[in-house]
Amino acid sequence: MDIHFLLGLIPTLLSGLPLTLELTVFSLLGGGVIALLLNGLRAGSIVGARVADFYVFLFRGSPLLLQIFLIYYAPGQFSFIRHSFVWPFLREPYVCALLALMLNDAAYTSEIIRAGLRAAPRGAIEAAVVGGMSPLTRLRRVILPLAFRQALPAYGIEITGMLKSTSLASVVTLMDVTGIASAEVSQTYRAIEVFLTAAVIYLVLVTLVTYGVQRLEGWLSPTRTPLSARSAA
Amino acid sequence: MTEAAIRLSGIHKSFGAHHVLRGIDLQARNGEVISIIGGSGSGKSTLLRCVPLLEQPDSGQIAVGDDSISLGEPGQRLTGRDRQAMRRLRSQLGFVFQNFNLWPHMTALQNVMELPLHVQKRPRAECREEAEALLERVGLTARRDAWPSQLSGGQQQRVAIARALAVRPRALLFDEPTSALDPELVGEVLTVIRALAEEGRTMVLVTHEMGFARHVSHRAIYLHDGRIEEEGPPEQVFDNPLSERCRRFVSHHLSRN
Repeated sequence: MDIHFLLGLIPTLLSGLPLTLELTVFSLLGGGVIALLLNGLRAGSIVGARVADFYVFLFRGSPLLLQIFLIYYAPGQFSFIRHSFVWPFLREPYVCALLALMLNDAAYTSEIIRAGLRAAPRGAIEAAVVGGMSPLTRLRRVILPLAFRQALPAYGIEITGMLKSTSLASVVTLMDVTGIASAEVSQTYRAIEVFLTAAVIYLVLVTLVTYGVQRLEGWLSPTRTPLSARSAA
Repeated sequence: MTEAAIRLSGIHKSFGAHHVLRGIDLQARNGEVISIIGGSGSGKSTLLRCVPLLEQPDSGQIAVGDDSISLGEPGQRLTGRDRQAMRRLRSQLGFVFQNFNLWPHMTALQNVMELPLHVQKRPRAECREEAEALLERVGLTARRDAWPSQLSGGQQQRVAIARALAVRPRALLFDEPTSALDPELVGEVLTVIRALAEEGRTMVLVTHEMGFARHVSHRAIYLHDGRIEEEGPPEQVFDNPLSERCRRFVSHHLSRN
């Protein structure tokens, strides 16, 4: 082990950290918005529900890497796209990678939201109905707060999943932590040191996110008693 | 005890082919305590749930105070005016469920404050003061910051009663309020309900506690197969019913208690 090489390597790899974090945050934000829209679509009509089902089926059923490749390479084959106003955007690897990450995240997140929305016990909703709450108040005061608590653990996993998935963006030339690492390996041929160090950076990030989500969970349910474990008597 | 707080007339309700309520007429005068008894499947819970339209009757009329809704056919869509009437009607009732149905993400105090604060839009300080007073009434001041999951069934039901009272209801409806409780916890809840009856509140109580019902109610109703089979003062219904079926039901249940 060459300690000087390692010490020099860490700042090099960390220079890709802003891009990694940016991709993670933007894909979660964009994916979250699309996921909410998908749930709105699902609640709207039977056709809407089928469309949402099909979307989720497509994006959860196929590899993210292929989704990135398709969004990056496919539009260039169509001349009408190359001559349209979207081409300056779709030509950018950054835009394509982010789009693929967003669309993929939306499929998973919409299912997490869907499960959360079904978490409110029937009785708690009945109590809100009989108390004269309007449907909107019911959503705001009872259904969403319970959905959020229910969805948080699964969403924490989705956050860390997306954080790791951003490494795939390096295949379309983006210089995130992984992109810089592979460039470094092709220059130095020191695959073990470089890739291990990159992996440690992801491990630290994932640990921080996991810890943060657990703290939030603890804060939201001070008794640490799962809702489902409430006894009736 | 003259003006009617709740008036039900001609209530019919079916679930599929099962005709649960077959034309119920019932009035609760102000200050009156009415017990509804009957075997399982007699329709007593369904009847109570029809009052705030938790179940929509197929036909009949429901009135609470000055607000009323008339229904003519099964599955009838409510008009905007009906919905407004329904909201007003619900806001005049306090409903206590068999399974308490507290909101699990709110503390005891927050549960009691929720409807006055977020539905009736009363000032927060006033809601809080009143909620604290109500929790004191049901003997739970010490547990006001506890979550529902930290409370025993009896405590949860007492919080639920405080929550029902917090909307300043014209009438209270109890749907088998002690049926989900361990036997040793029934007494604390009945004590609270008895105190409410004694202060002259209008209450309709669906219950299996025959001894309690006989003691607190002004009028008792025995429901069988979706119809009122026996109705009268508790001395009549519990001790000397006209209907043979009611006599068998009551003697069976009283001897058990």
